[in-house]
Amino acid sequence: MAVDIAGVRFQNPVLTASGTFGYGLEFTNLVDLNSIGGIVVKGLSMKPIRGNPPPRIYETASGMLNAIGWQNIGAEAFVTDKLPALRRYETNIIVNIVGFELNDYLEVVRFLDDCPGIAALELNISCPNVEKGGFHFNKDPRDTRKVTAAVRKAAKNLPLWVKLSPNVTDIREFARACEDAGADAVSVINTLVGMAIDVEQRRPRIRFLTGGLSGPAIKPIALRMVWEACQAVRIPVIGVGGIACTEDALEFLIAGAHAVQIGTANFYRPDVSQKIAQGLQQYCRARGIEDIHELIGSLRPYE
Amino acid sequence: MLDKIVRIKAIRELGSRNYLVTLRAPEQARLVRPGQFFMLKCAGGLDDLPLLRRPFTVFNVYRLPNSGRPAGLELLVKDVGTGSGKLVRMQAGQALCCLGPQGRGFQISAGMKNRLEIACLVAGGVGIAPLYLLAEELMRQNIRPVLFYGGAAAADLVLRESFEQLGMDTCYTTEDGSLGERGLVTAPLAQYLDKQGRRNIRVYACGPWGMMRAVHQLSARKTIPCEVSLEARMGCSLGACLGCVVRSRTGSGQEQYLRVCQEGPVIDSRLIDWETAPL
Repeated sequence: MAVDIAGVRFQNPVLTASGTFGYGLEFTNLVDLNSIGGIVVKGLSMKPIRGNPPPRIYETASGMLNAIGWQNIGAEAFVTDKLPALRRYETNIIVNIVGFELNDYLEVVRFLDDCPGIAALELNISCPNVEKGGFHFNKDPRDTRKVTAAVRKAAKNLPLWVKLSPNVTDIREFARACEDAGADAVSVINTLVGMAIDVEQRRPRIRFLTGGLSGPAIKPIALRMVWEACQAVRIPVIGVGGIACTEDALEFLIAGAHAVQIGTANFYRPDVSQKIAQGLQQYCRARGIEDIHELIGSLRPYE
Repeated sequence: MLDKIVRIKAIRELGSRNYLVTLRAPEQARLVRPGQFFMLKCAGGLDDLPLLRRPFTVFNVYRLPNSGRPAGLELLVKDVGTGSGKLVRMQAGQALCCLGPQGRGFQISAGMKNRLEIACLVAGGVGIAPLYLLAEELMRQNIRPVLFYGGAAAADLVLRESFEQLGMDTCYTTEDGSLGERGLVTAPLAQYLDKQGRRNIRVYACGPWGMMRAVHQLSARKTIPCEVSLEARMGCSLGACLGCVVRSRTGSGQEQYLRVCQEGPVIDSRLIDWETAPL
């Protein structure tokens, strides 16, 4: 069941997605963190960020909109207050990093790069819910290349993943830009920009007006984009978007993802990541699959 | 906090789209404190729609008639949307997922120099939900609760007989005058607080944002401590999604967002920025 991503071993390919699993510790009553491959923690900035005014979330057909706006406790508080407890678990901690400008990313990367207990960094250039920064670096592949290269240089020790936005014409160009700039992996996809309106009050359901759409509603889109990214680059692609059960995770692996991240499903099924890790094992055992790599990228398109 | 599959014991219609939903949940019933809530999946299967669970406050703990042991939860649910609507249309005997108890409940004597003498419980409509367990607990501690309960019409003041049966003072208001005083619940509350002089009082409120804001302003003017039980759209109730926040502005001018699921749902009213409604 183990996979290797940029020299880091994951006991299984099931991770939790950033922003949907807090700092991991919120779930310890309900999930055995030792049973999953990794935890991508809530996006961190150097200084704490307050986030957007509410309402921030709204449920839509088979999914939800959110515009949290990067609320987080800051990298220092994370390292002091959360990381020591997290390190006690046998799982990989990946830190998602956010920034309004290039220097914001570099500052937090330099700070985290020396911290023991972090397995990798995930560069978030694809958040649709902030006025400035956010997916500014994910609108033109040249900007994506520039920010990735700069962060790559600043991260001297840790592997670098880049989380990409689906709100682009061709995700392959962005995946290639990341690979060219030295990224070790890409996470595909972040949320799709969406909207909902209260027709009685004629107000947007989300105060920020738009929000990121996540959940099962976006899974077919995510799967298609993971497939496309896998065709375009040699670095590992990590599949994320609407995965809620073992079969969903299998689809992403077969499409070529080296690992998957579980997002919105954590909210209504807190132990879903553990269940999917178990489910993958059962699937493989029942079919005599000894190495998960036999599954990865094993799609058999029609001739 | 436990995540359990529990069965519906009964659903009783109370009028004005309110329902009392009783769940068989003995383990969780033993843990609940006044003001806490549970996250319920408003459908049979966890992947059924709506996806996200919904938060519901505990009205009362259902106890076995003979032994008096906690056996279940009574939740007051108003049918206001997709989640609550599906829940109240479920049938006795059906199973659903129930996570909790969650959140910070009411503080009764915490942080108080002298013993509390009088507790003013202020409810607007379905905001009555968290106040019954609180009233019971106050009486157990020999603190006198007084209920101020307002709504649009008499039919909206559901479950008021439960409070009357506790033998506590009650004051009702309706906007159409069909029960009690005509007008808003804040009017008799203000009169009552005026008459109490320097006695050790605390106010507990739950209802529409505007009502809670008015109750907060009344209490703050008299430097009476006031706690409010807030409502918010919630994603996880675990403190992870950061979806259910309310803006907080403290005396020192520090602004931050408090999670209604963790720092609440019951929050000291002075911590809240009353200009920014969370819903």
